[in-house]
Amino acid sequence: MIGAILTLWLAWQTLSPEALQHLDAGRQAEKQSHFDVAIAEFRRVTELEPAYAEGFVDLGQSYMEHHDYGTAIAPLKRALELNPKFTPAHRLLGYALLTQGYADEAIPHLQQAQEQAALGIAQLESGKLAEAIATLQGALQKHPNDQDLLYYLGRASGMLSKQSIDTMLAAYPDSARAHQALAENYFVLRQMPEAEKHYQEALRIRPDIPNVHLELGHVYAASSRWPQAEEQFRAETKLRPGNAEAAYRLGDALLQQGKAREARQELERSNHLQPQMPETLYSLGKAASLDGDVAAAEKAWTDLLGIENETPLAAQAHFGLAAIYRKQGKIAQAGREMQEFQRLRNPAAQPEAVQK
Amino acid sequence: MRTALLLLVPVLTLLICKAAGPMAQFEVTQPRGADFILQNSPTPQKYLIETMSGGVALLDYNDDGLLDIFLVNGGRITSPMQVPENFDRANPRYWNRFYRQNKDGSFTDVTEAAGLARAGEGNYGMGVAVGDYDNDGYPDLYVTNYGRNILYHNNGNGTFSDVTAKAGVAAGGWSVSAGFFDYDNDGKLDLFVTRYMEWDTQHSKDCGGNFHTYCPPGEFPRTTNILYHNRGDGTFADVSQRSGIAAKKGHGLGVAFADYDGDGFTDIYVANDGMQQYLLHNNHDGTFSEVGLEAGAGLFMDGGPLSGMGVIFQDYDNDGRPDVIVTTLPRQTYGVFHNDGNGSFSDQGNQTGVRMLSGVTSGWGIGLEDFDNDGQKDLFVIQGHVLDNVEKIDPSVHYLEPTLLAMNDNGRFRAVDPGSDRLLAGRGAAFGDLNNDGWIDVVTTALGQPPQLFINRGGKYHWLTITLQGTRSNRDGLGARVQVNGQTRFATTAGSYASANDKRLHFGLGDAKAAKIDVFWPSGIHQTLNDVAVDQFLEIREPERP
Repeated sequence: MIGAILTLWLAWQTLSPEALQHLDAGRQAEKQSHFDVAIAEFRRVTELEPAYAEGFVDLGQSYMEHHDYGTAIAPLKRALELNPKFTPAHRLLGYALLTQGYADEAIPHLQQAQEQAALGIAQLESGKLAEAIATLQGALQKHPNDQDLLYYLGRASGMLSKQSIDTMLAAYPDSARAHQALAENYFVLRQMPEAEKHYQEALRIRPDIPNVHLELGHVYAASSRWPQAEEQFRAETKLRPGNAEAAYRLGDALLQQGKAREARQELERSNHLQPQMPETLYSLGKAASLDGDVAAAEKAWTDLLGIENETPLAAQAHFGLAAIYRKQGKIAQAGREMQEFQRLRNPAAQPEAVQK
Repeated sequence: MRTALLLLVPVLTLLICKAAGPMAQFEVTQPRGADFILQNSPTPQKYLIETMSGGVALLDYNDDGLLDIFLVNGGRITSPMQVPENFDRANPRYWNRFYRQNKDGSFTDVTEAAGLARAGEGNYGMGVAVGDYDNDGYPDLYVTNYGRNILYHNNGNGTFSDVTAKAGVAAGGWSVSAGFFDYDNDGKLDLFVTRYMEWDTQHSKDCGGNFHTYCPPGEFPRTTNILYHNRGDGTFADVSQRSGIAAKKGHGLGVAFADYDGDGFTDIYVANDGMQQYLLHNNHDGTFSEVGLEAGAGLFMDGGPLSGMGVIFQDYDNDGRPDVIVTTLPRQTYGVFHNDGNGSFSDQGNQTGVRMLSGVTSGWGIGLEDFDNDGQKDLFVIQGHVLDNVEKIDPSVHYLEPTLLAMNDNGRFRAVDPGSDRLLAGRGAAFGDLNNDGWIDVVTTALGQPPQLFINRGGKYHWLTITLQGTRSNRDGLGARVQVNGQTRFATTAGSYASANDKRLHFGLGDAKAAKIDVFWPSGIHQTLNDVAVDQFLEIREPERP
C-alpha cells in the first residue's frame, strides 16, 4: 500500500498532468478488468513520458492480464533498459518469457526477482534439472502443498533420474545396473518375461546387488508365482536383514501361499524394523487371523486404525474386525465395524437405466 | 553282453516313464460327430454379449442311459446392429445344437429332429439349465438368451416342445445362467434366472480408449434376477418381487444352489460381476434374504469385490457343509468361501492354494468333482479372459488361457496336467460320466471354437454313482443332501457358468469296498443304506412315507 502511494507520489512529481491523467485512467480501467482500455491509456502514458519505466511496466502488466504475453515482452524490456534494477519489471518479464517458452532468457529475470517457483520451472524447462530440483524444493518449503510445485518437482526428479540412467546405460551397457534399469522399465510396461530375464542377468553379474532380489520378487508376485517370489524376497532379507520392506514382502508372499504362521514371523519382524506401517499391520492382522490368533489380529487391525482411519486400508481393517466379532458372536460390534467399512467403501455410482 | 542289455531295458523304460511324467487324468478330444462351433461373432462394436456366451448341458434326454450334449450358440452380430435385432438364428450356423450320444461314444446331431433348431431371431444365446419341471421322468431344457428365454418341454419321445409362452418364463433382458431347484419343498422344481445388466445393442459402448475393449459391468446399470415358482400345472409364477429376489439388483452371471445352513431349505448363491456376491438365504416362507456380507461370503477377506462369473456350491473339504468357489478375473484370484458352520463363511483362498493357482487367469465354468476317485473333490476351471485384446493393455495376462485342473490334497489344491495345453477363450463347462465308467468327464466350450471333451482315463479307486428318484420330493431329488462314507454332495444340475451338469451324484470311494449312504430328501425324509456295493450305478427311490 505504502509502495503504491509512493509510486503515485513520485509519478505526480515527475509526470505531466496529461500523462498523469492517462496513468490514473489506465489504473482505474485495470481495476475494473477493462484491459483494452487500460492498454490504450498506458500506451498513451509511454508516448507522453518515454523515459518513465513504470509506465512501460504498467503497459506490460496490462498485456499480461489480457493474456497477451508475447506483446508484453517489448514494453517490459524497455522498462528494464530505463531502469535495469526495477524488480517488478524483472518479475513480469520473467513470467512473460517463461510463458512464451523462452525459459533460458527468463531465468536471470526470475533470479533477479527472486521468484523461486517460476525460476524452478524455468530451470526445468531449460534442462537444468539439478538446479530446478533445488529451487523447487526451496519454493515448496514456503508453499508445502502447492500442487503445481509438487508436480514440477516430481517431473524434474523423474527427468533427472532418466537422464542419469540413460548416461549409465550408454556408458556401461552390460553392467548389472544396466540390466536392473532395463528390467525396471519392462516391469513398468508389464512385460514380465523380459523383466525377469534382465533381473536374472543383473544377479548373475552381481549376486549381492541390493534391491534386485526384491524387484525380481515383485515380478514373480505380479504373475502370482509366489514360491519364486518367496525365494527372491528371502534372498533379499538375507542380503539386507535390516530392511523392513523385504521382510514385509516375504511375509506377504508366504501369506499368499497360505503359510500363515511363517508369514506372521516375517511380518512381525518387519513391524519391529519399521513400526506402525499400516500395510504391515494389515497383513499382520490377516496372517494372525488365518493362523487362528484372533486377539493378535484384532490388535494389529486396531493399531492400524489408530494410525489411519479414512483410507482403503482402514476399510479393510474394519471389514476384518467385523468378521472376527461376528464369529465371536459380538453382533453389535460386528455391525459397527461393517458400518464403518460401508462408509469408507466407495459406492459405485449406478448409471441411468436403459431398457431392451 | 546280452545280460547287460536285458538289465538295461527296464532301467531305460523307467527313465523314459519318468521323463514323460505321470499320465494326465484326461484324454482331450473333440466329441466325435459334434461339429459345433460356438459362434460369438465378435465385432469392432465390442458388444458385451459377444464375449459372454457358451453354455453346455449334459443330460440323458431319451433315457437310454447315455449322456447327451446340448450346446448353446451365440448368433450373428452385424456391425453395428440394426433394430429390430436379428441374430440370424434361423441359419443352421447359429442354431443351438443337440447331440445324442451313441453306444460307441460318438454323437449324432439330433437338433432338428428334437425340435431344438432355431432359437428366435431376436435371441443371442447364453446358457442352459436342465430339470424335470413336470416330474414326468424326462429332463427339460431352459435356454437363456439376450432376448427371450425358452423353455423346452421334453415330450419323452425324442422331441421337445417350446412351452415358454404357456409356462410364462420368457424373462427378457439379458439372462445368463439359470437353474432348477425346489425352494419351497413342494415337490415341484422352481426356476432361478440370473440377469447380467440393463443393456442392449443400441445402448452399448466400448471402453479402453484407443484400445477399444469390452466395458466392465459397472458401466451399465444393475438389474434384477428372476425367480419363477412352479405352479404344478405347466405354468410358473414370477415371484421375484414377492420373494425379495428383485430387491437386490446386481450383475448376475453364475448361480448355484445348496442348503448351506442345514435348515432343510435350499439357498442360492449368485456370482455377481465386479461387486459383492449374493448369498440368498431361504427364509422357509417363500422369501429370501441376502446375507452375503453378514455371512462372510460376499467379499474377499480384505473387503474387495469379486468379478464373479462361474460358481460352485459343494463341500470341498468333506466336513459336510457346502462351500463356495467363485471364478473371477485376473489379479483378484478365485474366491474360496469355506462354510464354517453357524451360517458363516471365511475366505480361504490362501489356505486352499487356490489364490496361487488363479492370480493371472480368468475363470468361467467350474466344477468340484472327484476326478481321481480318491474321496476328495478336485477343481476344474475352464479359463480365458473377457477382453480379446487384453494383451495390449496388460501383456502379462492373456485372452487365451489353459484349462485348470487342480487335485484336492486334504483341502489344498495342486495344479496338474489337464491333458491339454490348448489355449482358449473358455466359457462353459459341464460335468458328468459320459461313458459310464465310473469316472467323471467334462465337456467345455470356448468362443469361436468347437467343444472339448475331457474323457477321464480312470484309475485304481472305487466309486459309486447315485441316481435319485423322488416320490414326495421332486422327481430327480434336486436339493437332496447325500452323504457317502463321510463325503457330501448336494443334488443339483446347476453351478459352473451358464451350464448344466449330469444330475447323477458321483462319489469317489478310494479303497473302500462298501458304502454307507445317507440321503436327506427335500421332503424331510432321511434314508440310510448300509453295506452298499461299490463301483455301481445305484438308483435310490425316496420312500413314500417317512
